[in-house]
This record gives sequence, C-alpha cells and structure tokens, in this order.
Amino acid sequence: MFLIFALITLLGGLSLAFQKNLVVAGLCMVLTFFGVAGLFLLLANPVAAALQVIVYSGAIVVLLLFVIMLLSAHEEEEALKAHPIQRWGSVVAALALAGGAVKVVLASGILRSPRPVGVPPPMNLDALGNALFNNHLAAFEIVGLLLLATMVGAVVLVKRDL
Amino acid sequence: MTTLLQGSLQGYVLVALLLFVIGFFIVLSRRTVLVQFMGVELMLNAANIALLAFARARGGDVQGTVFYLFIIAVAACEAAVGLALVVGLFRHRTTTDTDRADALKL
Repeated sequence: MFLIFALITLLGGLSLAFQKNLVVAGLCMVLTFFGVAGLFLLLANPVAAALQVIVYSGAIVVLLLFVIMLLSAHEEEEALKAHPIQRWGSVVAALALAGGAVKVVLASGILRSPRPVGVPPPMNLDALGNALFNNHLAAFEIVGLLLLATMVGAVVLVKRDL
Repeated sequence: MTTLLQGSLQGYVLVALLLFVIGFFIVLSRRTVLVQFMGVELMLNAANIALLAFARARGGDVQGTVFYLFIIAVAACEAAVGLALVVGLFRHRTTTDTDRADALKL
C-alpha cells in the first residue's frame, strides 16, 4: 500500500513538472494530493487525510483552476528566448539534490531504527482539539486573524477601483 | 530494503524529500507563474509528509497534527494572495510568463 501511494504521489508530481497544458497540470496536482492523503491514512492519521482532501484537493485546486480558466491561460506562452542555462542548471540541481537526499536517508542509522514497541493509537479529533485549545490557543487566534487579513488583502489586490 | 518498501520512517522521509525536489525543480525550470505556484504547493506538502511521519514515529504525537493544521491554514492564505497577485499581474501585463514580466515599471 505504501508503495502504491508513494508512486501515485511522485508520478503525479513528475507529470506536473513536464505537463504543458495548465488544466491537466492542475489535475496532476490533484493526483499528487490524493497520494499524500493516502500516505497520511497509512500513518494512522485520518484527520490529516480528510483535511488534505478538503483543503488541498478541494479548495486550493478549485481556486487555482478557476484562475487558470479566468485568465484563459490553458497553454503555456512561447518563450521569448531560449534559456539553456536555466533548463540544464535546474536539471543538474534537482538531480544533485535528489541523489544527495537518497544517499543521506539510506545511510542514516537513526531513521532505520525500529518503531517503538506497541503500535500507537490512530489520531482522533478529540486529542487534536484538546491539544489545539489547551496548548495553542494564542496561535489558533492569530491564524484566524491571518485568514481575515488575507481575505481583505486578496479583495484589495483584485478589485479594479477601490 | 523491504522495510523501506513497506513504509518505514525511512520510506516516508525519502518520499517527502523526493517530492520536495520535484517541487523545487518545477519552480526552477518552468516559466509560467501558475505552474511555479503549483511547485510551491508540492514543497509544502513534502514538509507535511515529513512532519506527520516523524510525529507517528514518536508514538502518535498530537503536536505534529496541530502543526499540520497551522501549515495548511497558512498555505490557504498563500494560495489566496498568490492567485490574487497573478490576476493583478495579468491585468497589467496580459501575461503569466515570468520572462515577459521582468520589470517593475511598465
């Protein structure tokens, strides 16, 4: 199961990287988000999986597809001039980073150590709500303020004449 | 190797790192603002996978999920403001290509 969801996630990301049509790229991103939600389920965290599907695959992707269709930017514009340095530089940087990451993770002894004995219980909303409102109440209120400020800011940015 | 394929902590960290690298590659190599934005979202998701995998390995720690909640709230803010900026850019320049929008003043 882990292998299936990991492959869905990574192949969705790769097809997003090489997709020319922006709407199809957005749908590839949905695929990636569903793969990530599956990984969260395998981590015994159904709360996070549900939030992932609702917020990412739901709200953010709908907003993104809406903007793509609003600007009718389905196809990528032709490049003004070729940028071989950018293309090959990004390929080399990504391959070097990926190679380094694989090497470090496979060599690490801490990550390979077995899980603690006794499987921990799955995450439930009860524990999450208690932790959120007992220990992180200030942060919760600040995030609410941030969302309000974002809403006002987005309206100001998009409105034609205030 | 078999524990890696069946989803040990190592496997999750590896998937998170590779997803981050893919997002990084998208941001570096593509020219369209909207696709670069998708790459940023992939990088945020990679961070979330690593966070929740480590929380699980620490015995189902609830703090990881609390942080995940805050991260997706901030990601939603980033999405709203980022897409508003793209719409504003398109209104001024009628383009979403970063090569064509390389000057602050028209």
